Amino acid sequence: MPSLSPDTDNTYPWIEKVLPTRLEAIREAEGDVMERLENLGYDEDHQFAIRLAFEEALVNAMKHGNRMEPSRKVALAYRVSPECIQIRIRDDGEGFNSACVPDPTTDENLQRPCGRGIMLMRSYMDTVQYACRGKEVRMVRFRRSSDGGATP
Amino acid sequence: MPEESDIVQVTDCDGVKLVRVTTTSILSEGEVEAFGQSLLAIAEVPGQRVVLSFMGVQHLTSLVLGKLIHVHKRLAESGGELRLADIDPHIFEVFAITHLDRLFRIYEREDEAIASFAGEAEA
Repeated sequence: MPSLSPDTDNTYPWIEKVLPTRLEAIREAEGDVMERLENLGYDEDHQFAIRLAFEEALVNAMKHGNRMEPSRKVALAYRVSPECIQIRIRDDGEGFNSACVPDPTTDENLQRPCGRGIMLMRSYMDTVQYACRGKEVRMVRFRRSSDGGATP
Repeated sequence: MPEESDIVQVTDCDGVKLVRVTTTSILSEGEVEAFGQSLLAIAEVPGQRVVLSFMGVQHLTSLVLGKLIHVHKRLAESGGELRLADIDPHIFEVFAITHLDRLFRIYEREDEAIASFAGEAEA
């Protein structure tokens, strides 16, 4: 699987991992992310938001992208700096058009059991972009000056 | 299907099933499935009234929301209802963002949620 990290920064480097398609692998992967956030002083609100978006993106990659097929992998890259966190996740699936995902908050969709992951990712991250025909998601969340981070 | 699991503890309170989540987060496939199966087992009783307490839960994903919706629909079909309580402010925000605070009746505390059913029975 090709590298997801765009550049090199020795102080706050991109971390790259390849995950098996198992939901249990998400908890293992998020441990390092959360530790880096905590070490850099990201507050509880940031930690909750980033963890939720991180989990939702990986669940989507495994369930909807890889369809839980064990032979498929998920490529993960992230970079945590004092200013922001950048996350890239790519699955081995066929891709999808994020614009075609129905709005889960409308009356007709409110009782549908699926379709909320992308909405939550967009709510909790500052940018959420899809690449590679929907197989890769790129997310960023900035710290605000009010909680000790730099203003983006 | 068992009502209790490693994920939830179930007690009877004045005809209401009180379900307390016993873990701080529900993420793995096994946890999500056990959570859903436990609630669906309770929902098999027609007209069952259920209070689900999220006390201590610090994290959940949309997979759990999907299970709640499934259980809500199953209960509603038989005249029952699922009400929620003790939701952490961060998690309440997830319900608000997804507009599920419009679908579920949410109470600050589990005793308020249980009492809300009793009030309706007397009315």
